[in-house]
Amino acid sequence: MATNRRPVRRARAMRVFRDALLTLPLLIFLVWTLLPLTWSLSASFKPVLELYMRPPTLFPREFTWANYQAVFAFPGFPRFFLNSVLLAVGSTLMAITVSTLAAYAFARYAFPFRHLLLLSVLVPRIIPRAALVVPLYGLFANLGILDTYTVLLVSYTATAVPLATWILTGFIKGIPESLEESARIDGANLFHVLYYIVLPMAWPGLVTVIVVAAVQSWNEFPFVLSFTNDATMRTLPYQLYLLRDSLGIQDWSLINAFSIVTIVPIVTVFLIFQRRVISGLVGGSIK
Amino acid sequence: MAFVFGILGYGVVRAFITSLYQVDMLMVDQPFVGLRNYIELVNNPRFVNSFQRSLVFVGASVTLGTMIAVFVALSIYRLNRFKGTVQALILIPYMVSGISTAVSWRFMFTGTGSLANVVIGLFGFEPMSWLGDPNRAMAVVVLANVWMITPFSVLIVVAGLEAVDPQLFDAAAVDGASGFSLFRYLTLPLIAPMMGVSFIWLSFASFNMFDIILATTGGGPGNATDLMAVYLYRLAFHRLDFSGASAVMIMLLIINVSVSILSLRLSRT
Repeated sequence: MATNRRPVRRARAMRVFRDALLTLPLLIFLVWTLLPLTWSLSASFKPVLELYMRPPTLFPREFTWANYQAVFAFPGFPRFFLNSVLLAVGSTLMAITVSTLAAYAFARYAFPFRHLLLLSVLVPRIIPRAALVVPLYGLFANLGILDTYTVLLVSYTATAVPLATWILTGFIKGIPESLEESARIDGANLFHVLYYIVLPMAWPGLVTVIVVAAVQSWNEFPFVLSFTNDATMRTLPYQLYLLRDSLGIQDWSLINAFSIVTIVPIVTVFLIFQRRVISGLVGGSIK
Repeated sequence: MAFVFGILGYGVVRAFITSLYQVDMLMVDQPFVGLRNYIELVNNPRFVNSFQRSLVFVGASVTLGTMIAVFVALSIYRLNRFKGTVQALILIPYMVSGISTAVSWRFMFTGTGSLANVVIGLFGFEPMSWLGDPNRAMAVVVLANVWMITPFSVLIVVAGLEAVDPQLFDAAAVDGASGFSLFRYLTLPLIAPMMGVSFIWLSFASFNMFDIILATTGGGPGNATDLMAVYLYRLAFHRLDFSGASAVMIMLLIINVSVSILSLRLSRT
């Protein structure tokens, strides 16, 4: 027995070593992922002078809420915040309505070229938003809707629909058709089928689509930069971008606090639904 | 009824798409100048510069992103606990706006007392200007870009690993394969299709990156980080050259489509 124990122990030591070797990159990656935001978070609680202290501190020596008070008191901040919320909610609702119907059609009806069309739905993802701005600007200018909520709602919805349709088509295809057929026999019409069978069963996909659309709209920048001019139409990312130019000497405490204020709501939404969103996103990218 | 509704949904999508595409074609053709816009672009040193800068940016981002994605995905795959939590934490940058990303990264690289300079100070280097130097500014935007877009790649590769039958790994281990050879001859070919998807995602996202660049360097210093998407935007809204910008857009589209076709072909064989 004594002769046997040694290799076993060595094997165990090897395994511990190998596990450490495999977890190390992950730990480094986690630090790398969380460091930039943590650093901004820490700066947002420091008085400006402490930012320039050396060596820098991770935990503020003099903890202050003043930067956040300055953010909330920033001229127009409530308006920008409401704009962001309104656009995120509005465009998400519109996007899921359109994409649910489209996805249902793609999943259930055999119309000609549907595979090609489903693929073409993804084309807008290949073009940078900054590039889409160019053709769309002319169109929206002709329609006279620049500088309105309409233009942002329409363009945000239009860019959210493709991926949403793609993901939802996969989920709806996974629902057994026999369920819908038996409901039809019992006299249910399309609305009933959609509302009572398809939507509940595609719920995981729907959650994913809702979160992704909301995130996209909340973080959107090129469209709001190009299609709006009026200060009342600004969203949080736009104002955050402008802070860089308008403050002259960079007030990093304020900028970081502003950035954190724009990040926290959407990351909270994501963390609440993270499990569904992760599986939905991954499923959508593979199908 | 069902049919009408199907058509309606599909019609709306379709209308959106055609509206997105026909319009810019019209712009290029008003009046019809054929390929002149393209020829002018190719002869324009600023366009050539932005094209080269884009290649550097995308090449560096994709290489770095793919390596990180594979290593981190392998680690996550082996995790027994906290897998969900780790994946959620890792995905946070994907939920953060490009502007906020730019703020954090600019903050870490601006000023003599910045975090970056403190870190290199630990290794005995003098503080330096990061965003004022063409090469270092490019490095910073590449890092910020990788920070934001790699998490999604990690998820994709993890999904690829999880789709593999674990018995294959066991069988290979029984046959005495281990370490690098296991990775090279079993794991890598098995996850190649998912790496293809991840590759496409990384290259699209990098070619199209706009927010981070504009808010971190604004294309500078000089034209060092003047990538195609930023160049295109400037062309349209500062120089009001919409047809030139449309031509750049079509070129970006062609590049993206050919990259995706190429990588799908490569990862399947």
